Amino acid sequence: MTADLHAEAEFLDVARTAFASSDGEEALRSLGWWELLAHLDDPELRPAIYAVFRAQGSELGSSAALGGLLAQPYLEHTDRVAGSVMSAIRRRSKTRGVVWVVVGDPADRELLIDRPGAGATIVAAADVSLRRIDVPGRLPLHEIQIDVDVLPSTIDEACAATARERSLAIGRIAISLEILGAAEKALELAVDYAGQREQFGQAIGEFQAVRHLLAWAQTDCVALDSTALHALRLGDDLPVGFDAVVKALAGRNGRRACERSLQVLGGIGFTTELDHHHLHSRVLALDGLLGTAASLSRELGLSLRTGGRHPGFPSALLLADG
Amino acid sequence: MSALEKVATDPLHDVRAYAAGFEHWLAAPPDSLRAATAPLPNYADRVSAMAAMMRDLHDAGWSRYGWPEESGGLGGTILHRGAFWETLSRHHVPGMALFEHLEILAPALVAMGPPDFVSQALPALLSGQELWAQGFSEPDAGSDLASLRTVAVAGDGGFKINGRKIWTSWARYATWCLVLARTGTPESRHRGLTAFIVDLRSPGVEVRAIEQANGTDELAEVTFDDVHVSDARIVGHLDGGWKVAMHILSHERGTFAWFRHCFLYQQLTDGLEHGGADSDAQLGDALLDLAAVTTTSHAGLHAHAADDPLGPKAAFTKLLLCEAERSVNSWRYDLDADLAIGVQDDETAMRRQEYLFSRIVTVYGGSQQMQLETIAKQTLRLP
Repeated sequence: MTADLHAEAEFLDVARTAFASSDGEEALRSLGWWELLAHLDDPELRPAIYAVFRAQGSELGSSAALGGLLAQPYLEHTDRVAGSVMSAIRRRSKTRGVVWVVVGDPADRELLIDRPGAGATIVAAADVSLRRIDVPGRLPLHEIQIDVDVLPSTIDEACAATARERSLAIGRIAISLEILGAAEKALELAVDYAGQREQFGQAIGEFQAVRHLLAWAQTDCVALDSTALHALRLGDDLPVGFDAVVKALAGRNGRRACERSLQVLGGIGFTTELDHHHLHSRVLALDGLLGTAASLSRELGLSLRTGGRHPGFPSALLLADG
Repeated sequence: MSALEKVATDPLHDVRAYAAGFEHWLAAPPDSLRAATAPLPNYADRVSAMAAMMRDLHDAGWSRYGWPEESGGLGGTILHRGAFWETLSRHHVPGMALFEHLEILAPALVAMGPPDFVSQALPALLSGQELWAQGFSEPDAGSDLASLRTVAVAGDGGFKINGRKIWTSWARYATWCLVLARTGTPESRHRGLTAFIVDLRSPGVEVRAIEQANGTDELAEVTFDDVHVSDARIVGHLDGGWKVAMHILSHERGTFAWFRHCFLYQQLTDGLEHGGADSDAQLGDALLDLAAVTTTSHAGLHAHAADDPLGPKAAFTKLLLCEAERSVNSWRYDLDADLAIGVQDDETAMRRQEYLFSRIVTVYGGSQQMQLETIAKQTLRLP
């Protein structure tokens, strides 16, 4: 396990450097990420594949990585290669009903739209109308302007159903790691600030009220880090529902860590002069994709109450991760 | 084939095989296990029931896995013990009552205690015959443990201990107490402390039970008046008591959460009949807190199994366990107004004890504020 942790930390360092020094697409190319993506089932390579999302979160990078990852489980039913297709995410708008969203710039790629019950369809991004949404947090989002119900299915429902479940699980863990990266960076800003900013003749980081606020934010991040990486290590042994636990924890703890960091940063953290607002907004936007913390917590409670089993069982000890 | 379905063959080298074997054995549980699952709000009754159950589990061998053979165990690692208590929690044993020290104190005894003594004492503890207490805190030394004033002075082939300990868990029921006493100068702080194994039946020992706000009396005040201890009863080295204390606290903060949180999961499952749609979000939220404990304490177990304890990182696990204790019990409280009104029956009394206990866990084993300070200093490196 210790060796794994070192490997994960190394991947993360490399990925952060790549995202900090170039744009997201270039970073993925330099990391050979699209080639790696085809090896999603390899436990040795999995940490490297997912490290990209955490790095993207902390460096506020943007790329087609999430859409590519979400599409990956469907590709075996097609003749497409990793990176050529991005999967759209279905979300429900309070006023507009079902909306299809793509994270990152789809440019010359194809889009996969999976309609539960009717199979999945693949269309060229150039053939659909995309509306760019101005989401804060340097996160390019596009809404697909198309009546998806009239599209012929490329992958039949039986095949799509299996891929759908897997896509959702891996997507939730990837988004959770991106939330973690952003929350950790927000906390890093606040910790630096607490060490520099002086009031009453001392650094505010010497005041216990401030120290404890930051320690709680770090605890939020550690809980998420531990749970998300645990899920990665378990791979296919992941208990049913655990991806929802990870994503709900990410939304809840990510937001909490940003709020606690903001409190320490004070007014300057609420301006566009610092990156905190980008990090915070990215966490909020990602919370809204593939299940918010609020909706997933409710679903988890409902499923435990009516089904009697919790996603923590079979327990970590009884799973083949040792 | 899922991990759980793999054929169980070697319980010593495969924790899943061990868990499957134990589960199979529990299909026809001993009467003592059934008795231990009954709600017993009277703490002395609970102690007797648990001791009887532990005797049977020791004699059948299940509790001896995870402990070295030279200490009376059957070999294996802390992961076996993790599976042992998890299995018992799923069979409705409500908690570890009094055997918490198997996972707090005993690992340090095995690692650093006098081997001849430990080879007798561990089986006696595992079988519920001779229980343990931990004499660390004092009236004037709580969070600042290194300021403790109980003294041990050398002479007559051993030491004479004088002083007063408080919040000494389970002393009333214990035969042995691990006492942290000052063997150096009053200014020596953590460098002048030694850990002694004291027989609580010795002349000069007085145990006064402390009745707690939740109706249990598991804590005590213990005074030592010229209590003789042989120098063969030192754990670790003379003046090396801080290392022993840190070993114990690393378990209390880093791995104990695993054992405890299994029972919290079971409390959720057992309370589901009281739940409703309006409390699903709160229930789900408690699951998130529990998952954080599962994964951080699981890492703690593996770290200890590999002899590479977590160190200051254990502070996170401790904080997360407290959060889980609070959220599970808040959910139960909100579902059941009987808990607010007070004790009506044994079941409610037990639940109310648990609820109130969840409001004090942030004090035990190093207060929440001390854990936050550890993180601020050692992880965040704040000024």
